[in-house]
Order: sequence, then C-alpha cells, then structure tokens
Amino acid sequence: MVDAARHPKVDVRTYTEVERVEGFVGNFKVQLREKSRYVHADRCNGCGECAAVCPIEVPNYFELGLAPRKAIDVPMSQSVPLLYNVDIDACIHCYKCVDACGKLDAIDFGLEDKSVWEDVGAIVVATGYSHFDPSVMSEYGYGRYPNVVTAIEMERLANSAGPTTGNLLRPSDGARPERLALINCVGSRDKRFNPWCSNFCCMYSLKNAILLKMAYPEMDITIYYMDIRTPSKGYEEFYDRAREMGIHFTQGRPSLIAEDPETRNLYVHSEDVALGRVIERQYDMVMLNQAAVPQPDVDTVSSVLNISQSPGGWFMEYHPKLRPMDSPTDGLFLAGACQGIKDIPASVAQGSAAASRAGRVLHSDEWEIEPVVAVVWEDRCISAQGKKCGLCERACPYGAIEYEVGKPAHVITAKCHGCGGCVGECPHNAITQLHFSDAQMLAQIRALLAKNPEDKILAFRCNWCSYAGADAAGTSHFEYSSNERGVRVMCSARVDNDFIYEAFRLGAGAVLFSGCHPQDCHYITGQPVGAHRAERLLKAFTRMGMTPGRFRIEWISAAQGDKYARVVNEMQETLDAIPKEKLLEEIDRLRPQMEKRARRMREVPQVEEALEYADRMKAAMIEVEVVA
Amino acid sequence: MNHVDKTSETFADQVRAIPGGEHLEMCYSCGTCVSKCMIQQKVEPEYNPRRLLRRVMLGQREEAFEDPTTWLCSACDLCYPACPQEIHISGVIGAIKQLAVEAGYESPLETVTVDESLCSGCGICVAVCPYEAHSLIEKEIDGRMDRVSTVDPNKCMGCGTCVAACPLGAVARPGIGNAEVLAQIRISESGKVIPTLLVFVCDWCLRADADVSLLESYPKNVRIVHIPCSGRIDPQMALIALRSGIDGVLVCGCAPGECHYKRGTYVSACKIGLLGRMFDQMRVDDGRVRFVQIGTQDRGRIREEVDTMLASLAAWKEARS
Repeated sequence: MVDAARHPKVDVRTYTEVERVEGFVGNFKVQLREKSRYVHADRCNGCGECAAVCPIEVPNYFELGLAPRKAIDVPMSQSVPLLYNVDIDACIHCYKCVDACGKLDAIDFGLEDKSVWEDVGAIVVATGYSHFDPSVMSEYGYGRYPNVVTAIEMERLANSAGPTTGNLLRPSDGARPERLALINCVGSRDKRFNPWCSNFCCMYSLKNAILLKMAYPEMDITIYYMDIRTPSKGYEEFYDRAREMGIHFTQGRPSLIAEDPETRNLYVHSEDVALGRVIERQYDMVMLNQAAVPQPDVDTVSSVLNISQSPGGWFMEYHPKLRPMDSPTDGLFLAGACQGIKDIPASVAQGSAAASRAGRVLHSDEWEIEPVVAVVWEDRCISAQGKKCGLCERACPYGAIEYEVGKPAHVITAKCHGCGGCVGECPHNAITQLHFSDAQMLAQIRALLAKNPEDKILAFRCNWCSYAGADAAGTSHFEYSSNERGVRVMCSARVDNDFIYEAFRLGAGAVLFSGCHPQDCHYITGQPVGAHRAERLLKAFTRMGMTPGRFRIEWISAAQGDKYARVVNEMQETLDAIPKEKLLEEIDRLRPQMEKRARRMREVPQVEEALEYADRMKAAMIEVEVVA
Repeated sequence: MNHVDKTSETFADQVRAIPGGEHLEMCYSCGTCVSKCMIQQKVEPEYNPRRLLRRVMLGQREEAFEDPTTWLCSACDLCYPACPQEIHISGVIGAIKQLAVEAGYESPLETVTVDESLCSGCGICVAVCPYEAHSLIEKEIDGRMDRVSTVDPNKCMGCGTCVAACPLGAVARPGIGNAEVLAQIRISESGKVIPTLLVFVCDWCLRADADVSLLESYPKNVRIVHIPCSGRIDPQMALIALRSGIDGVLVCGCAPGECHYKRGTYVSACKIGLLGRMFDQMRVDDGRVRFVQIGTQDRGRIREEVDTMLASLAAWKEARS
C-alpha cells in the first residue's frame, strides 16, 4: 500500500466514493465524492497532537469496538495516507485539536465534501467482502455471551498491535482462556443464511489455532468442523501440522452453546460424528468462524457501475472459467472477493490478471469489438416523433442504448455486445443487428422452409447454449429427427416475433424457441427478455387454437446435447401424431392470423429484396432437383 | 460389519416418495440434529437421526426399522430450524416410521391406554393429543354399542397431555396415572414433613446434566415430581397440593417452540394462566402457583427459579403471620 501511494503514477484516493460512471471502455467518466475529513490533506503531517488533546472517545471500529479511539484519529496505525480524520458525529466542537495543530493549520471544520469528475480508461473493482453477523444465530449466543467472539475479534485479541497487545484475554473477566473452541461454518454452508462455502475459513481457523498453540502450548484447542477443506498447495500439510501440534478436531457441527451464569464458561453441545454420540464440553472461550458475505452496499455499487450480481450478491464475471477477471462490460474488471470468495493467493492472482487486462485497454488506441452490433434506423424510431417507448433501452443488458423522448434511440457502439435483444424487442422494426438483420433472418427462414414446410421443425438456437447443445448432440452421436432445421441467433432475445409468425405463415410444422438457462445467459439478461416474449407468444398461439407442442420453448445448455436431441424427437413425435390433412388444415386456418401479425415486417428496409432473393434461390434449388 | 443392501435405491426412493421424506439425500452428516435432540442424552444412547438417515440412504431397511430413532422421535422439531440443509428430519423419520408400521413393526414405547368402562366418548383427548393418536370409535361394551376413545400405539408418544385432560380419569399410562402422581404429592400427609415447595419438572426442559443432578440435592422442603411433559399437569393437582399444606407449586416446562411433545408447554401455559385467574376470584394470593418455561440454553435457570420461589414464599408466609 505504501509502495502504491509513493508511486508517481498511482493516485490513491481514500475516503472517496464513486457516485456515477458514464462512458464506455477507454472513455469512462467517473464522478467521485471526496468525503470531508475536516483536515487538509496537504497540510496534515500525521503527528497526532490533535488526537492527544481530543477529549472524546468513541468505539474503535477497526478494533471492532474492543478498544476506544478519539473523535479525531487515524483509522488504524498503518493507514495510507496517514491523515487524521474527524468523526463529526461524535465531535463536540471544542476545537482543542485546532489549537494543538497550531501553525500547520491543517484542521478546518469548514471543509465540505467535494465532487470531482475524472476521465479513466478502465476500472478495476476490488471492493472485497464483509462478515456474517452471527448474532442472528441464537443457538451460539453471540452478542449475549461475552466469551463467544468472532474470528475477526479473535484476530484483534491475539494481535500484538491489538487492544490487549497480543495477550489473549477473554472478554468477561480478562482471564487467560485455557480451553478454547473454534467453530467452523458459522453462517456458511447453511441454507438458512448463506448456502455457499466461504472458501478460506478452514485454513483461517487452522492458522488461528496454530498461532495460539504456539503462543500458549498448554492451551486446549478444539476445532469443530463439518468437513476440513484444504484444496490448495501446501494446505493439507498445514492441516497435518495442526494435528501434530495437538490441536483437537471434532467432526460435528455444534447445535448449541449454553453459558454457565456464574463462571461465564461455555458448554458446547455437538455430536462426535466418529462416535455417533452427543458430547458436551466446557470451554472458557469460543471463537466463531463466520461466513464471508458480500459488502452491505453491494447493490449500490452494482447499480453505479452497472455490474450484474450472481446469486448471493457477488459480482458477475464474464465467464466463470475463461474470463473470471472481466466483467460483462468492456473496460470494467473484477479483482478479489467481490467477484466470489477467495483466499489471498487467488485474490492476488486475480488482481494481477485484472491489472494486466486493464493495461491492455490503456495501451491501445483502438478497441476491437464483435461486428454484430445494433444499428438504429433513426427515421423509423417513434421516439424521434416525440412518442414514449424505450423498450430497446430496457432490453439492453449493457446500458448501450441512450434513449430520450424527442430524439431517436442511440446505440453506443463500443458498449454493444450484439445480443440483438433490442432488435427483437422494437415493435416498429427501427433497430437492426448487423449480420443478423431481419432481411437475412427471414431469407434463411424462407429458404429452410422452401419445401414441405409442414414436415419441418424450425429451431431458433442461441449461439452460446442451444446452438452448442445441438453441436454437442452431433459430436456425441445423439440421433435426432432429420426434419429439424436450425437458425442461429446470437441470443434468444433476438428472435423477433415476426420470425415465428413468418415461419408458421409459410406453413412450418413446428417451431422450437431455444436458448440458455436463465442463469447462464451469455448476455446477462438476454434470456429473460426473449423468454418473456416467447411465453406471451405461446399463450397467443394457444388461444388461436394451435395444437400444443407445435411451438415449444426450451432452455438447453451447451452440454445438454442429449436434451436437444430429446426435445427435437419429442417434437417430431408430436408432429407425427397429427394426421397430415388435419395439420395442413390447421396451418391454413392460422395463416391469415399469422399474416396479419407479421404484416409490418415487409416494410422493413431490405426485407423485400431479401425475400425476393430467397425466392430466386428456392426456384433455383427446385430446378437443380428437377434436372437431377 | 454392516451389510449394504444392493437394492439400496428402492428403500431410499420409498422414503422420499412419502410426503416429508423428500429431502433425505440432502443430509451431509454434520450431526447438528443429533446434538440438538435430547433423546440420546436422556433416554437412548443408540438414538441418532443422522445415522438413521444414512441407513436409509444405504438401503438398510431392517436396521432402519429396528433403529430406536425411528420410534423415539417425538417430532418436536428442535432440529428442523437448526439443520443447515433445511431438512425436515422429523418428516423423514415419520416417513420411515410409516413404512415400518406398514411392514408390521410395532412401536416399543409404553403408550397410554383407555379404560373403556370409564370413557364417556367426550373426545377431549382427541382434541388435545399432539399426535392424533386418539380417535373415537363405536364399540360394543357390556352388551351395548358405545362411543369410546381408542389409541393408536404407533402414534402415541406418551406425553400424558390426554391423561391430564380426561375429565373421567379414563386414560392412563403406567408411571404417570393420576393416582401415581397424586401419591407423590400426598406422601407428606402420612409422613412427617410437609414440603414448602412442590416442583413439577418436565423430563425435557433441563438440558444440562448438572441441572438434573441439582434436583436430587434439594432438602426435603422442596419436593420434586418428574413428569414427562408439562402438559401432563392437571390444575387440580396444584389445588390438591395447596390444600394439603404445601405453600407453593412451581411447574417447569420447555420454552415456547421447544416442547418435546410439540405443544404440551403451550397447553400447560394456558392451564396455569387460567388457574391464576381463578385464584384472583378465589382470593388466593398471587404467585403461589407459577409456570416457568426453561429454554435449552438456560443453564442454571432452575436453581435461580427455585431460589426465587422459595424466597417469595418465605416473604408471603412472613407477611401472613
């Protein structure tokens, strides 16, 4: 930290909050609020005279309230930069500190929060994690029993710079505990609170146990655990070392801690799983290894930076295996536990990776993107005519569309990832996607349904999941009906209702709408946009009297080749079950409705030409067959 | 060595198919349920729900049916809110028990019996039973058809709530019948010392062994009567105790939500509350009959409560003399 602060090219802003982020990769504008310390940063030399004279003491949050601090103080002794800070809520404005500061004149109660805008090329988010508050678990009595402490409190109690100068004393009477219990998985791997494993707590409790055993060899230390997880290099050896040192391990999650009201000793009830018997043991002190949880303000940060969250509240990475340090937004990178709980080595690795990724942005003048971006036909956008719409803006998972009534919607090309959700959503066909334009898609549909359309199953597959799923079906030799015809889209959200109307108008036997599973969408929230539209369509078709199963919505992942084959085969069975004349009659009956609904499609620029081209191709194909 | 049945899936599937048994496979053997439950500590060392679930997963059908856990679980659901996997363990055990009963196994528990010559068929027992063990049947008794209560021995857990509730004394279980409990109160009438305080202690409210052994150490002026559940308390017993010269009665039950027999502590709280209001009308001094609910974490609370009660009774006596 000190190295970073001294580096000529690193500007450390502490006590500063990010209020707003605008722009895109390479061209971010960030609004910062530099909170007032009531101390001039350029004048304070960190001498501490002010704290010495301050008469007000408040709980020290760095010491978790185990020690006091002054109303003007540094957050902790190793603070970088070493600047004093007035806790204005506790300050009584006696101004003794101002007098003590004297000629430096660093303290100024007139200072206010400052709002500044900065231009940056890339952003790395490393906001870390927070701790689960075990006081909600009444069975462990944290908060009621003074001798039940959390791991972080234990850390301070055993730290030589801590409130007890490294002497481990128990809070109730200041005595040295002789029997100590460490309980793992408090609030983690617990569906009532946090279902995840907190990753580093096993190692952390082993570390605490070993340190304490080294400091106090006579201390009786027991670790209660469900499973000890030591998966990285050297970790299992560390576990062995703890066992060799004589630390006791009890497999069994304690169900209850009861306090003796006189001695304040604690009775831990647990099963010894190896014995199958309930044991009750007395301890002087109990340490709870509480779960790691997302920061309490994670929702604010994610909305300011426009990063989506995984279940639980961790920031969502671009890809869990291949791009864990990238966020879905270009130029925004993730490092450390804010993306998912990880220990120090993993955090350092991810931080370095994120920094080098950010460096790539800063060192290049140009940024390459996929060419499949969305483009607006400004004259067709009804917003330009002063009407309210904004569907495209709402469908965009990346905030790439700027929308304002009175102006046509505008796509920030650098932010667009090319899912096509806005294109599928636009009711006026005013947006198109390069390489996946309506004209191109319709030409494909028309060509695929050129002959015997009533026998065909037209499948819309999203590029990342279902298309790969169909691929997997092929490479794994899962057989499926040869009547299936696939159309690739980047995301299921791109599938315009018009495409499905057109397919049925042309007389398609069945249509499959397939995409990623809701939590797996490559484009964060593209799948729900597509799903919402498709489900409404399904209802409409049911009302029209379409045979159930002719339009089907399925979520198929890249690995589910078997599912893809099964779904297609089931659809084939559905088609086979309908007598041909009945199917043709149904197609004819529904055609006018489909026509009516797909009416506007032909007005889209280039569509007419593309359809003509498709017709010519169709004719040529038939000719080739006739000749053959 | 335990034999692992090759047809294991079928048994686990059977259990999972019964409502309540669905989450069987979620158990990762942390042991929380075993130590949260007091049955192993107080009644049966072989009691172990974690192991029972394991047995089912391994398809050990007979072992599971013979396991005391199958029969002793009283569905108090102390373990359910503590389970990190949110498994409704008593639901799973209930499913196993149902299969065991279907397979012809019988509960080894000593259950209540109905004296059909006394039963009037009023149905109060049906209403109070937390386990739906009682039901009313039409039966020929002494040559004529009559409506009487009957008990399903595989459902009854023996809490005695019905024994306390029966207005005719027709329901009983060995050890906790009206006569037996009253005998413990009345020992003094023929004996020498009339105790100052009568303490009814439910078998499950004292978690710590130290607290249980504390009960033995009280002098003769504190008489301890053990009952399976505070729901077994009949307010008349308190009245009889006061009439026979005992100064005060303390009833100890489990904390709300922790009753070993689901709702005995609630029933008892209602009864003693009602008795207090009767005392108001009868101008009996307040505080002579008290009900305390002791939680699983309230170590040493029984000592505190008895001391407080003795002190308040002494003060009451002094004020009266």
